[in-house]
Amino acid sequence: MPGVNALAWALPALPGACGALLSVTGRRGDRVAPAAALAVTAATLALAVTAAVTRPRASVALFAGLRAELAVDGLSAVLVITVSAVALAVLVFAAGEIHEARARFFGLMLLFVGAMLATVTATGLAPLLMAWEVMGAMSYALIGFWWRDGDRVRSATVAFVTTRAGDLGLYLAAGCALAGTGTLDLAGLAAAPRPWRDLVAAGIVTAALGKSAQLPFSFWLSRAMAGPTPVSALLHSATMVAAGAYLLLRVQPLLAATGWAATLAAWIGALTALLLGAVALAQRDLKQLLAASTCAQVGFMVLAAGVSAVAGGTAHLVAHAAVKNLLFMGAGAWLSALGTKDLAELHGAARRHRLVGVTFGVGALALAGLPPLSLWVTKDAVLSTVAERSAALHVVALAAAFLAAAYAARAGFAVWSPRDDATRDDTERSGTRRVGLLAGLPMPPMAFVAAVAGVVGVPVVFTAWRALLGTGPEPGPEGGGLLLSGALAVAAALAVRGRRLAAPRTLAGWLYLERGAVAVVWRPVTSLARALARFDDRVLDGAVRGVSRAVTVLAGWSRRGDETGVDGAVRGLAAGAARLGALLRRPQTGQVHTYFAQAAVVLVLLALVIVLVR
Amino acid sequence: MNENPLDLLPELLVLGGAVIGLLAGSFLPRDRRRAVAWICGAALAGGTAAAVAAAARPGGTVFGAYAIDPLTHVARVTVMLATLAVVVLAAGRARGHPREAEEHVLLLLAALGAVVLAAADDLLVLVAAYLLASIPAYALAGIAGDARGTEAALKYYLMGAFLGVLMLAGVTLLYGLAGSTAYPVLGGRLPAASGAAVACGVVALLAGVLFKVGGVPAHFWVPDVAEGAPAVAAAFVTTVPKVGGFVALARMAGEFLAASPVDWRLLAALVAAATMTLGNLAAFFQDNVRRLLGYSTVSQAGYLLLPVVAAGRGGLAEPALLFYVAAYAVTNLGAFAVAVAVGRDSLDDHAGLARRAPGVAVALAVCLLGFVGTPPTAVFAGKVLAFTAAWDAGYAWLAVVAAVNTVASVFYYLRWIAPAFRPGEAAVRIRSRTAARVACGAAAISVLLGVASGLLLPGLSRGAPP
Repeated sequence: MPGVNALAWALPALPGACGALLSVTGRRGDRVAPAAALAVTAATLALAVTAAVTRPRASVALFAGLRAELAVDGLSAVLVITVSAVALAVLVFAAGEIHEARARFFGLMLLFVGAMLATVTATGLAPLLMAWEVMGAMSYALIGFWWRDGDRVRSATVAFVTTRAGDLGLYLAAGCALAGTGTLDLAGLAAAPRPWRDLVAAGIVTAALGKSAQLPFSFWLSRAMAGPTPVSALLHSATMVAAGAYLLLRVQPLLAATGWAATLAAWIGALTALLLGAVALAQRDLKQLLAASTCAQVGFMVLAAGVSAVAGGTAHLVAHAAVKNLLFMGAGAWLSALGTKDLAELHGAARRHRLVGVTFGVGALALAGLPPLSLWVTKDAVLSTVAERSAALHVVALAAAFLAAAYAARAGFAVWSPRDDATRDDTERSGTRRVGLLAGLPMPPMAFVAAVAGVVGVPVVFTAWRALLGTGPEPGPEGGGLLLSGALAVAAALAVRGRRLAAPRTLAGWLYLERGAVAVVWRPVTSLARALARFDDRVLDGAVRGVSRAVTVLAGWSRRGDETGVDGAVRGLAAGAARLGALLRRPQTGQVHTYFAQAAVVLVLLALVIVLVR
Repeated sequence: MNENPLDLLPELLVLGGAVIGLLAGSFLPRDRRRAVAWICGAALAGGTAAAVAAAARPGGTVFGAYAIDPLTHVARVTVMLATLAVVVLAAGRARGHPREAEEHVLLLLAALGAVVLAAADDLLVLVAAYLLASIPAYALAGIAGDARGTEAALKYYLMGAFLGVLMLAGVTLLYGLAGSTAYPVLGGRLPAASGAAVACGVVALLAGVLFKVGGVPAHFWVPDVAEGAPAVAAAFVTTVPKVGGFVALARMAGEFLAASPVDWRLLAALVAAATMTLGNLAAFFQDNVRRLLGYSTVSQAGYLLLPVVAAGRGGLAEPALLFYVAAYAVTNLGAFAVAVAVGRDSLDDHAGLARRAPGVAVALAVCLLGFVGTPPTAVFAGKVLAFTAAWDAGYAWLAVVAAVNTVASVFYYLRWIAPAFRPGEAAVRIRSRTAARVACGAAAISVLLGVASGLLLPGLSRGAPP
């Protein structure tokens, strides 16, 4: 069915093309941009739902022997709907929030969404890599959206360079996959022979950890907060960071095949969940708290990929997308209304804007993992598998879950606590004191999803969910595990209630990861570059300059030789010819008797020569 | 023996044209003597057509002393077409000229002499042709009646008389040695004759022919006539008689000189080397374009002697000579036509020609670069053939000398081209539109001949006698 298969192209192409068009219209498109973007996103959501039902598959020859294929399978179906729905919600929110350079903003957002849709439908590394790169570039453009502010652009650069450094792994993976299997198919990677399989796994894991802001790359997500709130809402929930987790879930067979890669992913995911959870708990800034919590929550998904809990990990990804989208919209709404995002200064915020307060509260409770909300169930779907694999891992993951409950509860308590003398308005910017209709519109549906997505944990539903994703057997959420994590969450929430935390500097400063990266990677690389530049200037350039100087000197010599030698010879020859010419005109005396004499003499000489040489 | 007068139809047509033209010129009033030009032109055109028709028939010897073969065919066509071009040049200039009719008639008679010279198969016919080709040419050189023309005519005549006497002496000597003046008989009997005597006879015979072709040491008249005679007459005497002379030389070389006990090739090679070198070097610093062209024709005569040296060795000599001689005629007429068109002889008078008359300037460049041997002009093909023929005949040194001379000749040809194309004040003026047209036509034919040389050469080679 060509019509159905064209859907596979249309799904990323519709937002991508419209976004590209919008982003180049400049100011002329500002007026129509939000409406157009919303229409396009709604259409994209409709396409995504259709694609999830019809499962299109389309491919085109990219290079000789390489095909670029986009297809929607179970995992992709879940993700395209999630991405489109979250994008719709974010863009509705953004239509109420963003009032400048709208064409550029909505254009870039649509491109961002289109790239993510291509990423999750790509079946091979080639289209995945292209979409992955476009997504990285869009994240840069969106984080640095307010480009007149140098700090924000620097943050965008840090985020871009960091993720880009991780992306190199994907190029390594693509090269090794081609060498090992002859194709770039994601499905065939697990069958690659050693050592290609290990190299591919290493590359993919590096790229995914970079994109998902896992340890040790987490610091870029803190920097990414410099962008507009809708960008964070999208970037933290359904695109960019989700892309890394998605990729690991997608190549879970490869990770399992290598053995070590799965273990590595599991431990990095668990440790990120634990450490960044602690970081989140230590933040005073709501958006920074949410950013760290994103790292931590994505850590659970990476952990799920490591322990082969694909169904649980995917469920967690979807539920977390809704929750985190909701929380960022709330934080953004308050930031514009009250002009602050400091947790202490936000005391009483939820009571001043009830709709935002209630929905944010639902999101915070869900993030905390409190029963019966979504993340309680989906996190346990992962933890139940972890428990089967490794006790140590399980302990770390439970501790991370405890911390998650603590930081989420802390955010919820902060906004719901009554106004006190810590409450301040307009410390960051001047607020509008109101939350617009468009900004509030997407919150209730998201809150609903955040609340009820846990239904996936019902055994019958979970079995259907696994069938949809086509994954192997997984235990799914279990009674004991659910009770334990629910109790932990309640305990953590009660523990942070009304308590002022003295956060260690290390945690408040994101474990000094950025400083570490600067010291361990940036400084050595730049000093190496400087040394190489010096080498280039002094040795290579010096050699070139020396050669040119030597050639000039040599040319001078040879010119001298030429002028006296070759040139002289030529001049001499010419002068000789000229003299000869003058000489040979002498016989032409104009007097006939000399002509006669000369002719006679020459003829006699000729006759003599002929007679003598005969 | 074949004595069919119709075999001589081209020559008879030209002769008839000359006679009728002379009679008409005598009786027509002066302002209506243009008709003589038409008569002569028609006679030449008819003669050309007859010659082309004759080329299609089998050849042979008529009256025992006149060869009808490819050499003759090409000589006839070249001479008649070249003369036709000169008639056009003269008609464009000589309207109302008191001796207009005589001029045309003399052109025809001299052309007839050149044709007979080329076709002569007997030394006595050769002598008669020599006189027929020479005497009208002396008159042509002096036809203007001015001091310079008269001086040129007198020098021309005195040189011709002196060398003609030597030639007659040579003919007498050879007749005495061989008992006959017919080429085939000479070819059979000379090998048995005394070498020194044959050598003296051959050198003396050569003196007359060299006078006709303007080779060393009989070249002295060429620059003087080229400069002093009227330009049209100069164009004629440096072009048409040479065609006859070279073909005659090639015929003699092939039929009896090569077989004689003297080293004929060395003699011709020495003359060729001396001729081209002297012509080139003496042309270096000429400021008079006609004198420069005169020396240029001397040097070209040197190159044209190359295939004569190679005559009878390898199949290339004869087509090379025929092609080169035709190419030379076209190119030389083109260059002289430019001189006629401009009407001034100093190199400086040609400054700015490209601005005033681009077509003429281009024609000049084509002709002079053609003399150098620039592809794709006709002389280039001729030179390549001639050099190859000399090389193949074992005269590699002569080919090298010719090549060096060719390089040296670039200098003086450029001395004429450069002022014509230099930007600046255009003092030059075209005085004869007809001459300008002839120049452009000659340049075009030169290029066409060069481009089509690949097509024409097989015809020349196939027609060559075994």
